[in-house]
Amino acid sequence: MKHIKRALKIHRIFMAQEFKRMMEYKGDFVVGIIGFLLVQLSNLMFLWIVFTQIPNLAGWSIYEVVFIYGLSLIPKGIDHFFFDNLWSIGFFIVRKGDFDKYLTRPINTLFHVLVEKIQIDALGELVMGIALVCVSAPGIEAEWSAFRIIAMIFMIPFVTLIFTGVKTITSSVAFWTKRSGNITFLFYTFSDFARYPATVYNRFVQNVITYIIPFALTSYYPALYIIKGENPLFNLGMPVVAAVVLMGIGIFVWHKGIRAYESAGS
Amino acid sequence: MKRKLKIYTPFVNAGIQEVATYRVNWIFFMLGNAIACLVSYFIWAAVYSSGTKESMNGFTMPQMIVYIVLMFLTNTIIASDGAYVVGEEIREGSIIMRLIKPVSYNATFLFQELGNKLSTEIAIAVPMIITVEVIRTVLSGVLQFNAFNLLLYILSCALAYLVNFYFNICFGFIAFVIKYLWGANMMKNVVIGFLSGTVIPLSFLPDALEKVFLFLPFASLNYTPVMIYMEKYSGAQLWYYIGLQAFWMLFFFGLSKLLWKASVKRLSVQGG
Repeated sequence: MKHIKRALKIHRIFMAQEFKRMMEYKGDFVVGIIGFLLVQLSNLMFLWIVFTQIPNLAGWSIYEVVFIYGLSLIPKGIDHFFFDNLWSIGFFIVRKGDFDKYLTRPINTLFHVLVEKIQIDALGELVMGIALVCVSAPGIEAEWSAFRIIAMIFMIPFVTLIFTGVKTITSSVAFWTKRSGNITFLFYTFSDFARYPATVYNRFVQNVITYIIPFALTSYYPALYIIKGENPLFNLGMPVVAAVVLMGIGIFVWHKGIRAYESAGS
Repeated sequence: MKRKLKIYTPFVNAGIQEVATYRVNWIFFMLGNAIACLVSYFIWAAVYSSGTKESMNGFTMPQMIVYIVLMFLTNTIIASDGAYVVGEEIREGSIIMRLIKPVSYNATFLFQELGNKLSTEIAIAVPMIITVEVIRTVLSGVLQFNAFNLLLYILSCALAYLVNFYFNICFGFIAFVIKYLWGANMMKNVVIGFLSGTVIPLSFLPDALEKVFLFLPFASLNYTPVMIYMEKYSGAQLWYYIGLQAFWMLFFFGLSKLLWKASVKRLSVQGG
C-alpha cells in the first residue's frame, strides 16, 4: 500500500512537469493531435468510400467495422499517451548511454521510464476512438446490456497492456543491441491488423495476430463478445491472459536487460 | 558541366555510404511498409469478395493487387527526406553552413539523396517489377510486359521524384513556423497519402473530387507513374499527365528558390 502511494505521488510529480513543458510549446502539441486525427480520418474516408461499393465487408456492417476500428484506437491511444517514452529507449537513450540516469535513482527503472513523459499527440487517436465507438454503437444490432458495457470498459486497461507489453519487450532488446527502435516499429506495425475484423485475413495471419503478436485481442475479440455475445471465456479471457503474460515477459526481459546494459564510452 | 559534376560527386558518394551505415534501419522500415501493404491487400480481397461486381471503378481484383504493389514500389522510388533535413537545419541553425559554401543548397541534397537511392532502389525495384509481371501473367494468363511502358514509367518516376524533392524542400521551410517537425511531417504524409491515391485509387472518389485531385501536384507523385505502368493512360492523355508532372516540377523548383531567398533574409541564428 505504501509503495502504491509513493508510486502515485511520483507519477503526479512527473505529470505536472510534463504539463509545464507542454504549455511552453502550445502550438506544437496541436500539430501532433491534428496529425493523428488526420491519420484516422484518412482511414475512415477509405472505409466510407469502400462501403459505397459493397453492402458489407466479409459479413460485417459498416457500423460493426467502425466500432471495431474505434475500439482498437482506445487502448492504442492510452498506451501512446502514457507510455510513449519506451520508443526513446530503443531509439537513443540506451545508445547514447543516457540510461545511466535511471539507474542512479531510487525508483524502479521501468516504472520511471514509463511515467517520465506523456505524449499529447495520442489524444488524436484516443478522442477519435471514443467518438467512433459512441457513434457506431447505436447502429449495431446487438443485445446491449449493462454487463456488456461494463465488460468493454473493464477490458480497456488490460488490452492497453498488450501494447505496452510488446513495446517493453522489444525496447528491452536495446540493452543487448544498443538500438531496437526498429524492432519496436516492426512489431507495432502489426497493430494495423487490429483495425479490421480478423475474419478478413487468412488463417495464417489470424493465428499470428491472435497467438503470436496478439493485437487482434485488443479490439476484435472483445468486440466479438460485445456485438455477438459469443464465447465470453475466450473473447474476454484471452486478452486478459495475453496482457498479463506479455507485461510479465516485458518486466522480466527488462530486468535481465539492465544487467547486460553497458553505458556509452565517454 | 564537368566542373559541376566534379563538385557534386562527393555528395553522391556520401549518400551511398550513408545507406551502408543505416542499412538495417532501412530494411526494417521497408518491412513495416510491406506489412501495411499486406493489410490493404486483405481488405481489398474482402471488399471484392463481398461485392457483386467484378470490376470497381476500372479496377478488377488482380489489377488492385498490381496497384498496391506498384504504389509500394513507386512510393519507395520517389521518397524524399528533404522536408525533414531542411527543417532540422533551420531549427538548429546549421543551415548557415550552407550559406558559406560555394555550392547550391538544393543540389547538394539532391545528389546526396540520389546516391542514397542508387544503392537501395535498384535492389528492390528489379525484383518488384518482376513480381508485378509474374502476378499479372499468372492472374490474367497472358504476358502483359511492355518494355516501352516500363520506360515511360521510369521517366514518370524520375519526374515524380523531382516534384517530390522540390515540394519537400519547400515544405521544410515550415520549420520557421512549426518547431514540431515530426508532427508537421506526419500531417504532410497523411494528406499526401490520401491526395496521391496511395490510400485509395482516385477513380474511387466522386467525379468532381477526382478531377481536382488529378490536377493537384500530389497525383503527379504516385498516381501518374502507377497509372502509366498499368496502361490506364494512353495517347494525348498520357502526355498531358507527364506534361503536368513537368509543370509541377518547375513550379516547386521555382518556389524553393524563392523561399530560399526569402528565408535567408529572415534567418536569425542564435549563438554558435
